[in-house]
Amino acid sequence: MTDSNPFADPLRFERQVPECAIVIFGANGDLTKRKLIPSLYRLAYERRLPATVSIIGTSRTPLGDDEFRGKMRDSVKEFLEDSPFDEDQWTGFAKGLHYIAGDLSDPKLYSAIKDKLTALGRTNVLYYLSTQPSYYGEVVERLGAAGLGHTTAQGWQRIVVEKPFGHDLASARELNQRIHGVFDEADVYRIDHYLGKETVQNILAFRFGNGIFEPLWNRRYVNHVQITAAESIGLEGRGAYYQEAGAVRDMIQNHLLQVMATVAMEPSAAYEPDAVRDERAKLLRSIRILRPEEVPLYAVAGQYAGFRHEPGIDPSSQTPTYAAASFYIDNWRWAGVPFYIRSGKKLPKRTTEIAIQYNTAPHALFTPDAGGVTMRPNLLILRIQPEEGISLRFLSKQPGSGMRLRPVSMDFNYGVSFGERSPTAYETLLEDALTGDATLYTRQDMVEASWQVVMPILEDWANRKFEYPNYDPGTWGPTASDEMLARQGHVWRNS
Amino acid sequence: MKPAAPVIDPEKILRDLRELWAQLAKDQGSAGGVLRACSMTLIVVAEPDDEADAESARTTIGVLMHGHPSRAIVLRPREGGEFSGRVFAECWMPFGGQQQICSEGIEITADSEQSDEVARLLVPLIAPDLPVVLWCRGPRAFLDRSLDPFFPLANKIIFNTRAVRHPTSAIEFLRRMRKDGRQVADLAWTRLTGWREAVAHLMDACDDGWLAAASGEVRIEYGGGRPGTRSLYFARWMERALPGVNVTLIPVTGGPGVHSVVFAGRGAETSVRLGEGSSLEVRTAERSYSAVLPPDSEECLMREELSILGRDPVFERVLG
Repeated sequence: MTDSNPFADPLRFERQVPECAIVIFGANGDLTKRKLIPSLYRLAYERRLPATVSIIGTSRTPLGDDEFRGKMRDSVKEFLEDSPFDEDQWTGFAKGLHYIAGDLSDPKLYSAIKDKLTALGRTNVLYYLSTQPSYYGEVVERLGAAGLGHTTAQGWQRIVVEKPFGHDLASARELNQRIHGVFDEADVYRIDHYLGKETVQNILAFRFGNGIFEPLWNRRYVNHVQITAAESIGLEGRGAYYQEAGAVRDMIQNHLLQVMATVAMEPSAAYEPDAVRDERAKLLRSIRILRPEEVPLYAVAGQYAGFRHEPGIDPSSQTPTYAAASFYIDNWRWAGVPFYIRSGKKLPKRTTEIAIQYNTAPHALFTPDAGGVTMRPNLLILRIQPEEGISLRFLSKQPGSGMRLRPVSMDFNYGVSFGERSPTAYETLLEDALTGDATLYTRQDMVEASWQVVMPILEDWANRKFEYPNYDPGTWGPTASDEMLARQGHVWRNS
Repeated sequence: MKPAAPVIDPEKILRDLRELWAQLAKDQGSAGGVLRACSMTLIVVAEPDDEADAESARTTIGVLMHGHPSRAIVLRPREGGEFSGRVFAECWMPFGGQQQICSEGIEITADSEQSDEVARLLVPLIAPDLPVVLWCRGPRAFLDRSLDPFFPLANKIIFNTRAVRHPTSAIEFLRRMRKDGRQVADLAWTRLTGWREAVAHLMDACDDGWLAAASGEVRIEYGGGRPGTRSLYFARWMERALPGVNVTLIPVTGGPGVHSVVFAGRGAETSVRLGEGSSLEVRTAERSYSAVLPPDSEECLMREELSILGRDPVFERVLG
């Protein structure tokens, strides 16, 4: 709703998605089945989409509208998160589902899309690139050639681009250039679903909605920060993609650097798309770029035993399934504070969290006593998944005689304080794109800045031959990762 | 004669609550335990001597707890009733969850004339450091001063003027409370959200024709024989949004509440009318479409109000 609307009541009125169409390229793929259609169905279920919304799926597989609807129905039933399936609701939603089969390189596909949009009377269109990344540039250019993709007075045309945005800095720049040949930057929504997670958004609420934490959020009090994204599973059928990507491209370049930016950014003047994104971009640009000779000291690659026997994986693959890196932020707030980031597959458990370790008290007032501790740093844990929440660890007196201290934890559990279901990241992000809110989407300069951060690591690793495997499934990664922290007097928080 | 002083010990109620939680934890111990959730104190005043109203309040609270877990305190005024209190818990299993979430409640029965004593009893029972919302379910607050002792306890007071006999006096009462610095809400106003949203979206999608129409006059049709608080609020909201435009209330046959709003001027007309079921029919010079009204069940209205714990500038402007 516009600010100039005299009837506006932002406290009470829901954002309204206007009449529109969503065109999904790669409609037969996993993302569409697991995330996009279930999220759109859930938005419709909550009446957050207009009843007239049209969803046009495209892919090479020949399917009719009804077959496509049947497949999507099965997907929604299987992948809908924390919600029951409502048959009546589905019947209404399915009427808006359409399918066009075609080759992404064939101009006829785009003519057919244009004809369909005209027949449906849709001038607001959201294109969603859920295809193989190598097709992104071509799809955009073919949309442009078909006369699609330009926002006009009659309606907006936006595009959502899934990760990865290129496979290195040069290809990211080239992709951006090709996209900008058709779409304005304001109409480009580069999706990083981590930013759509309620708990990642809650980092901003926690930092900037409270008065007591931000004064402690700097080099004076924070000793170091650990960001962990651990998966207990392996490739789960994503072998072909993962062999090319590896842990840095799959997790660190995008998700974890965005999380780091959210943890470390300066407060923006307002909670508005470009104000927030400016601060994230500034932070990403402040991360010190490693010199080639520093990479072996500040980055660790790992591959779990058995990876090379996974389907679709080269038996001599050098793809890292684990990556850890130490980053420093060159600004006044964070100078000298290490940010350790790690991500890996086949680790002991699935967890994504940020651990902020504070400096210990400057003087040990309490003497060591049997069974007790005297000094232990405070830890603030921001848990992204699972068991979303925040914990603060501090020392407390153990009951009984004497002064024995013991670490205790003060916990906030997101699900308990807010008993209702939280929207999934894709629900949030799709609704944002449909209402033109790009706050949680990444911008060209952010993407390029994060590529710049990881490029020295990728280049160094591409030129080395690692002795893989170097960690067993179910462990916390290679010992070199522990050694990297030990050199700076730190240890990974493995719990 | 005023009844005897209360015999309920707040310490006992708090002790009962602790025991209730211990019992719940024991009962659910093998099934993942229970999570105690509380984000506010919700004090609910049922209508005097009305068992059905108290039961209905309990049902609504049970639904509200899912989104707004709270310590609920239900007050059941009863003519000559004995002062008594008991504790209860509302538990639910989140969809796909493995651990029950529970919120706690206290039910207090007292004579209608014991408001001062009950208010004093409530002070130690309020969950510390969390917002306190007082929900006065019926028109009693507008009829006598018996609920006045509860007002200072609350950060927000929710009324329902739907059934008041004198709508203008009720609005004046709320205006005075606001002037006194109290944060007030009225479910009659909450019921208008769907109407207001339809008008606001119309404005967003407006063309020059509609702007021209809005610059003439606004006619609001209402049913029920006389304008209730809903119609009066709607008219005031229009006046505040479109200063200088003549807003007229016109009675029509049919049930109480707003039936239509017509923006007329310079030969053009735009209208929003109550349609079939729970829909609104929007008609402009260029097009016609339907908008769905949100459900106006008590729990939906309360859910909306409980999600606004700070100031509500639009309603404050309407109150004046």
